[in-house]
Amino acid sequence: MKFEKAILDNGLTIIGEHNPSALSLATGYFVRTGARDETAEVSGVSHFLEHMLFKGSERRSADDVNREFDEIGADYNAFTGEEYTVYYGAVLPEHQARMLDILTDMMRPSLRVEDFTMEKNVILEEIALYKDRPQFTVIDEVRSTYYQQHPLGQSVLGTAESITALERDQMYEYWQRRYAPNNLILAITGQFDWEATLRQAEESTRRWEPADSPRATPDFTPTSRVKVVQNEKIHRAHLAFVSPGVSAQDPQRYIADIIADMIGGGDGSRLYWELIEPGTADSVRLSHDEEDGAGAFFGYASCDPEKAQLVLDKIRGVLERVTVEGFREEEIVRAKRKVASALVLHDETPRGRLFHVGFDWQYRQEHRPLDEVIDRFLAVTPQDVQNFLARRPFDAMTVVALGPVASIA
Amino acid sequence: MPGTPYTLTLPNGLRIVAEHLPAVRSAAFQFLVPAGAVTDPDGQEGSATVLEGLAYRGAGSRNARELSDGLDALGVQRAGGAELEAASYGGALLADDLHAALEIYSDILLRPHLPADQLGAEQALALQKLERLEDSPSDKLFLRLRKAYYPGNYGRTALGTAEGVKALTAEAIRADHARRYRPEGSVMAVAGRFDWGALSETIHRLFGEWAGAAPPFLTPDNTGRERYVHIQKDTNQEQIGIMYPSVPVGHPEYYATRMALSVLSGGMAARLFTEVREKRGLCYAVRASHSNVRGSGAIVAYAGTTPERCQETLTVLIGELRRLAEGVTEAELTRARTGVLSDLVMQSEAARSRAAGIARDQYVLGRVRTMEEIREGVEAVTVEDIRAHLQRYPAEDFTIVTLGPVELEVQA
Repeated sequence: MKFEKAILDNGLTIIGEHNPSALSLATGYFVRTGARDETAEVSGVSHFLEHMLFKGSERRSADDVNREFDEIGADYNAFTGEEYTVYYGAVLPEHQARMLDILTDMMRPSLRVEDFTMEKNVILEEIALYKDRPQFTVIDEVRSTYYQQHPLGQSVLGTAESITALERDQMYEYWQRRYAPNNLILAITGQFDWEATLRQAEESTRRWEPADSPRATPDFTPTSRVKVVQNEKIHRAHLAFVSPGVSAQDPQRYIADIIADMIGGGDGSRLYWELIEPGTADSVRLSHDEEDGAGAFFGYASCDPEKAQLVLDKIRGVLERVTVEGFREEEIVRAKRKVASALVLHDETPRGRLFHVGFDWQYRQEHRPLDEVIDRFLAVTPQDVQNFLARRPFDAMTVVALGPVASIA
Repeated sequence: MPGTPYTLTLPNGLRIVAEHLPAVRSAAFQFLVPAGAVTDPDGQEGSATVLEGLAYRGAGSRNARELSDGLDALGVQRAGGAELEAASYGGALLADDLHAALEIYSDILLRPHLPADQLGAEQALALQKLERLEDSPSDKLFLRLRKAYYPGNYGRTALGTAEGVKALTAEAIRADHARRYRPEGSVMAVAGRFDWGALSETIHRLFGEWAGAAPPFLTPDNTGRERYVHIQKDTNQEQIGIMYPSVPVGHPEYYATRMALSVLSGGMAARLFTEVREKRGLCYAVRASHSNVRGSGAIVAYAGTTPERCQETLTVLIGELRRLAEGVTEAELTRARTGVLSDLVMQSEAARSRAAGIARDQYVLGRVRTMEEIREGVEAVTVEDIRAHLQRYPAEDFTIVTLGPVELEVQA
């Protein structure tokens, strides 16, 4: 899988990973901006802006953008997180030039007032939609409770109030700072022509001006809070819990991922046997999220409301037991195998591979072939796991319970 | 593009379909056993789900933990669960371990322990999943919509009912397994990297001794369906679902329906997204899709919106469904065709999606449509075909379900 890289004079980074046996290509812009880069005043602007990029540029109306994507049969979308905004599409190779043209043009949006006003309604509907889904809202709630004033605690969607108050010029100002070429990565994977990609990107971004796009990465001291959001309209108890992990730049992230998988990576994990097998809870999971300069283990469980305390106690019991006793060697071998096969399956399409190639560069300015990533996971030893747990990562734990639950300790 | 799939029918009736995908290093497999909600015994609705859960709690020479550890040691990414028409078992993994994984699945399907002392736990899980629907408004809406449209067994959900789940006994579960987990009527699909000679040998060895026939399939029937059902719920958004008759997969006009739906709801330039979301800002989510059960097809349209705008949303949504019959443009059809064909190629790059596709074809149609056949079907559809099709299958006689704070004004 040959890797390509170029940095244009304006600071735009372009990377590509060939897959000669692929039938399609995937390409996308990875923008290093998200909820953590917003001030409270413009909360939700990154995500709203992501919608607005589909509303066109000087050269294209909103209808043009959607129509042209559909004309080339693209499988396309965009998503916004706490620290990234990604626009991507997968197409058959013959549509490479047009795909790149649409995506690149989107990065320089018009942000027309009438489009802005209309799209605001759609954002408010999206906020209302998630309010009806406690399994999502509890995750937002635990994130803000855990991170407190740290930027990583900021909401991606914003609130109905912040979105209603947002003005077009505030969005424009944010866009100007955050969508500078030096804060963007253009990635391409699968069956593509690199020379053509490079030529086209150089030509179409020639007038783009670099800008200062700083990101604050203040230190963070993990918190241990327990919060109840009592809501009698909800039927189940939705529990979310967070403990400190390691950052996207920390080589120990491979160890943290394996540990999370052994504890809560689905059927066969420690939490599965503790809670699902006996029918005590209907859902439980734990994963490790690596972020810019920080990281955390995020967990979720749902159960009958009267069992919320019992379930939380059992989760704490499992975490304490693995911290004290560690894991058996064969458990570690199995987890590594599971993680490796999941990676291969995820990355077997150009579209799946694109996200790993793009984020590897965004977070670490590196290219890691898939086999090398797998080798890193397979290299995790029982001693690594033991050393990681010796720091007692789960001692600090912030918990939120959402639902018809009066109290929890 | 992959070519013709391999097919094999064992003397016991088990049907195997397999498609080689040269670009991948994985293999995905899926079993469809005719033990879905539709054929749950009356009074034991939910048996399909509980039985599927129990099947993993020990099988063959392995207890529950050994079985789970065995799958994990092979890196199997598990998938499946009880559905309306079948119980699905399967997974994906690195191609080298495919045979070892099939070995474990032959135990799960043929020799599950179905331990009586674990039944209570599976019942508790099933009851909790039913309760969880209350916190997932759109899931609840879709289940109620299907029930309104198919008053009989096809209106059931795989989760069953609280009464049906509670009524289950260990004996009933064993009897149900003996009745429905049979090779005649079951389908096995494999997609990805494999050697067909070696694979068919393994299949003969693992499943050759299986015997018997599952009970016959029921015919879906929507006579006497409900017209409007409102579920009162204090939510932020109103959920709107509309269902009306169309043709099933395999019908000569299926591709006309498929292309018409793509014009309506294929990409972001499709009509529903453009008219309901882009031009009017009424919704975040709006879409229409084809719903297929054995021998019966329907169109399902959906929108979620805040109460103040839900009446207008319903009006615009129905307006667009009806306007389709006035005809689609050549440009719309060309876009729809490009999108569908491009999806088809990209689906063949991933073992999991292809395995699911060929398993479903074999199960519902009794054969696998090759990529080439689908391509030809799609390319043959003209603007005139769509117009004629929609004359015969107009958007009318709706079954409508809403869930939320407002009961809507609905004209039949």
